[in-house]
Amino acid sequence: MSGILEFVTHPLNAVTFFPLVGVVAILLLAREKETLIRWVALGTSLITFVISLGVLGLFNPQDPGLQLVYDRPWFTVAGWTIRYVMGVDGLSILLLLLTTLLTPIAILSTWTAIQERVKEFMIFFLLLEIGMVGVFLALDLFLFYIFWEFTLVPMYFLIGMWGGPRRMYAAIKFFLYTMAGSILMLLAIVWLGLHYGTFSVPDILAQGPVMGPVQYWLFLAFAAAFAIKVPMWPLHSWLPDAHVEAPTAGSVILAGVLLKMGTYGFLRFNMSLFPDAAKYYAPWVALLAVIGIVYGAIVSFPQRDVKKLVAYSSVSHLGFVMLGLFAFTPQGIEGAILQMINHGISTGALFLIVGMIYERRHTRDLDAFGGLWKVMPVYAVLSLITALSSMGLPGLNGFVGEFNILLGALGSRVLGSYWFAGFAALGVILAAVYMLTMYQKVFLGPLDKEENKCLQDLNWREVVTLLPLIVLMFWIGLYPKPFFALMHPAVEHLLQAVLK
Amino acid sequence: MTVPVTWQDVAALLPEFFLVVWASALLLLDVFWIREKRTTAWLSALGFVVALVLAVGQMGRAPLLAFRGMVIADAFSVFLVALFALSGLVGILLAQDYLARNGIERGEFYVLLMFSVVGMMLMARVADLVMIFLALELFSLPLYVMTGFARPRADSEEAALKYFLLGAFASGFMAFGIALVYGATSTTSLPHMVDVIQAGEADLALLTAGAALVLTGLGFKIATVPFHMWTPDVYHGAPSPVSGFMAATAKMAGFAALLRLFVLVFPVVADLTPVLWALAALSMVLGNVAAIAQRNIKRLLAYSSIAHAGYMLSAAVAFADPHLGPQAVAAILFYLVAYVLATFGAWGVVILLERRIGQEGLLLEDYAGLSRQYPGLAAAMAVFMLSFIGVPPTLGFFGKFYLFRVVLDAGFVGLALIGVLTSLVSAYYYLRVVMLMYMKPGEPIVRREPRVQATVLAAAALTLFLGLTAASSLYAWATEAILRFG
Amino acid sequence: MLWQYVPIAIMLVLSMGLAALIVALGHLVGPSRPTHRKMIPYESGMVPIGPGMRRQPIRFYRIAMLFLLFDIEVVFLLPWAVVSRKLGLFGFIEALIFIAILLVGYLYAWKGGALEWE
Repeated sequence: MSGILEFVTHPLNAVTFFPLVGVVAILLLAREKETLIRWVALGTSLITFVISLGVLGLFNPQDPGLQLVYDRPWFTVAGWTIRYVMGVDGLSILLLLLTTLLTPIAILSTWTAIQERVKEFMIFFLLLEIGMVGVFLALDLFLFYIFWEFTLVPMYFLIGMWGGPRRMYAAIKFFLYTMAGSILMLLAIVWLGLHYGTFSVPDILAQGPVMGPVQYWLFLAFAAAFAIKVPMWPLHSWLPDAHVEAPTAGSVILAGVLLKMGTYGFLRFNMSLFPDAAKYYAPWVALLAVIGIVYGAIVSFPQRDVKKLVAYSSVSHLGFVMLGLFAFTPQGIEGAILQMINHGISTGALFLIVGMIYERRHTRDLDAFGGLWKVMPVYAVLSLITALSSMGLPGLNGFVGEFNILLGALGSRVLGSYWFAGFAALGVILAAVYMLTMYQKVFLGPLDKEENKCLQDLNWREVVTLLPLIVLMFWIGLYPKPFFALMHPAVEHLLQAVLK
Repeated sequence: MTVPVTWQDVAALLPEFFLVVWASALLLLDVFWIREKRTTAWLSALGFVVALVLAVGQMGRAPLLAFRGMVIADAFSVFLVALFALSGLVGILLAQDYLARNGIERGEFYVLLMFSVVGMMLMARVADLVMIFLALELFSLPLYVMTGFARPRADSEEAALKYFLLGAFASGFMAFGIALVYGATSTTSLPHMVDVIQAGEADLALLTAGAALVLTGLGFKIATVPFHMWTPDVYHGAPSPVSGFMAATAKMAGFAALLRLFVLVFPVVADLTPVLWALAALSMVLGNVAAIAQRNIKRLLAYSSIAHAGYMLSAAVAFADPHLGPQAVAAILFYLVAYVLATFGAWGVVILLERRIGQEGLLLEDYAGLSRQYPGLAAAMAVFMLSFIGVPPTLGFFGKFYLFRVVLDAGFVGLALIGVLTSLVSAYYYLRVVMLMYMKPGEPIVRREPRVQATVLAAAALTLFLGLTAASSLYAWATEAILRFG
Repeated sequence: MLWQYVPIAIMLVLSMGLAALIVALGHLVGPSRPTHRKMIPYESGMVPIGPGMRRQPIRFYRIAMLFLLFDIEVVFLLPWAVVSRKLGLFGFIEALIFIAILLVGYLYAWKGGALEWE
């Protein structure tokens, strides 16, 4: 008993597994009590958020290493001790907070949108949160893989059961694409286990990173899993399908958190475990990232489905993150981490905004709107802020991240060329083009469609859903210092090890 | 002359002895006194419970050669005997309602099932080539009859005939292989054979040929490509509980003998490694690819069982490595447990949905909408499918993890790649079942049969939770189940 | 090492050769005057009724199968009988077990109606 108590009272375990309480509670509730189920799910995710704030309180920003480490032998098989290692550092603390923040927001957004099978929806959603939080906290490769693969299942059901008309195709495509990468990673993980005799990342790094020609293969195997998840061009084709078909809350989590699992994987595992390979491949990764930036932006432009537009813009934004990471400069990586958060906030908010109008009009076709400013002023203002944040207007959060990434890429010795940053900057301009075009088509111009004339503006619940994200957009945009302070020592620490 | 059989010998085979006596008595009771066939079912289930207790009682004992070296009671065999007793119990739980509702319930079914299980148990115990053949026949013959139990349905009879003819053919290969191995080593006793081979007195060419033929015979039983042709037809034609029982247990029995022979006796025929490699790769590829095209759930599960035989065989490829042998055995035993749980569970769901025997409720489309009306059943089936794919945290994931570990450790990177890529292929058709259950509307009709339902739910719970809570103890148990002689 | 099998081989060749020789001699030397009566199948001197290839009641097969089964099982008792004195009590008990199993099968066949003609 004391063992269990010790386990659950550790803050990282608590924040990971607290949603399980909600899952059990919802399982016990009758399926007709939909409102109660919604409240239980929301309450659970809010408490999880509070716990994650507690983790932040315990976190020491000056310490570059892993903190709050919970390290126990989990089980032993044939000479392998598989450890249960959880820990948090400057690389993951913000992503943890982003996850626990976006989950209640996403649940709140489903209040009226999800009317069917609420019970199953909330169960899958809370299970998904467990998987996502676990991915960011797990430091044992085996444990990490379990969380990583586990996120697939609830997301598959969320897309497939509550999605749009082509939801089954999108769901299975999502599952197969992601699994294709991760099973290659599984083989690489097994290889590391055979070679090091442990899966614990700190223990492996204590023995020194992987050397020799095999690291290039292992890097590629890990990269396969993460690059599909990010998604990097040309492995991105599952993303538009998944986003278009997923329900709003699914899209928010998919864009806000699941994609970050890929970039986080590069940051946490590929860079530190295979430093030489990472540097060797860096220009190629950067090349794909830049192609992704430009490609995503260009393809976004002609889209008529707003969700598809936002999905392709994600390909572009995540390209920035990858470019920043593989610049191997403090500015680049810090900008990339911040950009992960920014993208979670802005794109999450964009999907919420799309979901709100879809709930009213049941279409996402750009041509079906126009002049909404006149009937929905609150909505229009919030949308404008979000769109500006997404395209990187100075003063809002997107700018800070992209600017740092571009600076980092310019000063990067590993990349060794200005061209990457030059072409990436082109992406910033293109982002302004497609975002403003979209905004113009929806909100400006004459209010000429009959169906749009009697649209209701946002209710208090919808405003509450968006408000935390809007506040964060301004906060990061105007005063990003506390965010950088959280990650700076850890990034320096990582770069020292990698560039040594 | 002293009595050549002691109580120790009998104790070594206690579960088998008990089952034989019980089954014989039940055979007579059934024709003389029992009116309700259900009573026979319960009595045979009781027999399996007792056999399970007896098998568990054998755990932790020192390995013991019994009956003048014909059989052995070691940790490996006890592990499998316990598993077989449990499988027999589950087999009866799945079968009774199904047979009764389809009007094909006869007391002989349960007796045949018991005799078949005895044969399988002996497959795990073999210490002599002659015993392998005897045990093989003892577990196969009742299965042939059980396959044809839905007579006069033509597909059931066809399946039985096909299974019988091809099975007899495989037995022929087996017998010929045994003869060649005997010719190469001039002994049938496996422990003695190990000595002869180590002393370098065996004719290696002859031994390799013999081992290859034995592999053919066993490959038929475990349904690896290219000896798999019968599997879809037989699983399709046989009554569903029989298919489920065969899919789970016949494979176990085949692997029991295969592991004992190859890991313990035949490491010297390392020439066969490429052959096993090819069999494993072909089974994984062909089983999974062919399963995609199936629209009938029974055929889908048949092809999936071929693929899983391939996964297990891929760990057995490392048989010639003295260090990896025991690990391969442990990994395969672990995988078998995961596979058997999911197989029984999935076939249980098939049984519940089969409206008219062999005709209605067997198409994948019949599973549409299951999750709305029967959320528990659909969730259980989803768990089995995810376990078959190998998604954490199900037991199937841990099984695949250990298997790939052995394969990679042995240096067969190509085989491991084929393994993971075919798992990806398998995800497609397993997820189609999940998709139909959860994402398509439909009005499935499900039997209310509490025993089958309870079995299915128990299997699902074990598949889900065993992985997280008991994976290590299960693996430790499997690791201790090392093959040994004396 | 195969030399010890030579006598068997000689025996095989001799016996097969002798049989072939006798049949061949009969054909060559004996007179052959076929009549209709001589050409019809031999059924203990009776005149056959109907064609030779026709359907038989399944009951015959059942009886034949049971006969074969029990007949062959009993054959196993012969080698036991040869060494029964040497095996002593143990051998006796073994044989009893063997017969008991046969008896179970016999009782099952009997009660199950396999021996009923109608």
